[in-house]
Amino acid sequence: MASIESKDIHKIVVACDAGMGSSVMLAGQLRKQLKGSSVTVEHTPVDRIPADADVVLCHVALADRARATAPGKPLVPFQIFIGDPAVNKLVATIKSGGTVNA
Amino acid sequence: MATAYTPTVYGTGIKATVQRLGGRLAGMIMPNIGAFIAWGLITALFIDTGWLPNATLAELVDPILKYLLPVLIGYTGGRMVHDQRGAVVGAVATMGVVVGSDVPMFLGAMIVGPLAAYLIKLVDGFTESRTRAGFEMLVDNFSAGIVGAAMAVLGALGIGPVVQVFTTAAGNGVEWLLHHNLLPVASVLIEPAKVLFLNNAINHGVLTPLGSAEVADQGKSILFMLESNPGPGLGLLLAYLFFGPRSMRSTTPASMVIHFFGGIHEIYFPYVLMKPRLILAVVAGGAAGVFTFVVTGAGLVAAPSPGSILAYMAMTPRGGYFGVIAGVLAATVVSFAVAAVLLGFGRGSDDETPGGTPAAESTETAETTGPTGPTGATGAAAATETRDGIEPQQAGTTHTITDKDGAPVMKEA
Repeated sequence: MASIESKDIHKIVVACDAGMGSSVMLAGQLRKQLKGSSVTVEHTPVDRIPADADVVLCHVALADRARATAPGKPLVPFQIFIGDPAVNKLVATIKSGGTVNA
Repeated sequence: MATAYTPTVYGTGIKATVQRLGGRLAGMIMPNIGAFIAWGLITALFIDTGWLPNATLAELVDPILKYLLPVLIGYTGGRMVHDQRGAVVGAVATMGVVVGSDVPMFLGAMIVGPLAAYLIKLVDGFTESRTRAGFEMLVDNFSAGIVGAAMAVLGALGIGPVVQVFTTAAGNGVEWLLHHNLLPVASVLIEPAKVLFLNNAINHGVLTPLGSAEVADQGKSILFMLESNPGPGLGLLLAYLFFGPRSMRSTTPASMVIHFFGGIHEIYFPYVLMKPRLILAVVAGGAAGVFTFVVTGAGLVAAPSPGSILAYMAMTPRGGYFGVIAGVLAATVVSFAVAAVLLGFGRGSDDETPGGTPAAESTETAETTGPTGPTGATGAAAATETRDGIEPQQAGTTHTITDKDGAPVMKEA
């Protein structure tokens, strides 16, 4: 399991199948929630997660593919697209400090 | 959690592989959907039966369909394999299959684009270490040119005609299904595959190319509407709104807007995955929608992507609104009715404590009440023991995956 200190998180990548639909939506939500912090949020296809991602977010059904594309990276799988506790927790951790274990 | 994700048909490894393969097919089409829509709009407006018939502008229709769209697909497919050089060679090779057949060569482009790119990738690997300093540009340009030209010739003489046979056969198969009223059965495959995140693979990897070829013949195609109908998902979400677990109801209206108007169907997949029996609702809704489309002879002129009602209306040919709207409505009503029954009309949802976060709550419910009681309980116990709030999710997920693979449960967590 990978873990990362919240102060070391600079880029969050939200991944979905095509990198065009649901990931764009969630990335937009996250950007709003993280406004004011230095963290950038990107969206990509799950098969093309960039190497400079610090934390990867994707739906649990795509988690296997995300692990294959970005092995060893902290991966936060979520289940629902609005108000998922895993996503909320990540945002809270980034804002208030702490460790992301994922 | 084990019960919440019930993709039983595929093992997790196979599922990921199928998703990835499908993702590649869809990945060649999806970046180019804008061009498909441009073509759809031009067609809907300017052909004889369009809104603003105009012979001069209608000249655009044929070349875009036969040349531009396949070349874009071949270009994108090549880029996926070997970046810009792969893209260029893939585009050149695609011209070969385009010229070598009489039908729109989407399928051919999806084969020959990546294939040509793979070839130039091999060639590059071979020449890279052997090229003398100062000759790199000469070698690079001519290797790409030679491979591109060779693949175009091969495409025109060999691959194009072969793929044409397949494209025609696939088209005939669809015709046959249509004539025998069997197309609604497709929903039995499509709807479950959709919630396993194979939605793009099916729609853009398979149906969009076939549908676009059909439009060339008949001016519209029903194939665009098999996967992308927003009706079944809307019906499901409506059922959740009225009869779902109380804690879920507050987020449902926002989900409905994103799904039905924004066209992001992924938003409703979790609602099915949480209560897998609801798959029956979207299957029934999907089949009812397709049946209505078949009966009314409905079709769209290009892929409605994303699958929003707004995209549907924009891609409906002149005079075709009745069938399209009827099919979406029928799918919504049937999906809603079946989902409402399966949710027991809201009975039993009140005993779930309000408050707390929706997903956590439903997750716990699924875990404690699911058929796989013992393993589910393990996951729940682990979740409560972990101190970090992110962990329960992770623990449950890992648990689910490893559980299916038969590997030690909770290994990673």
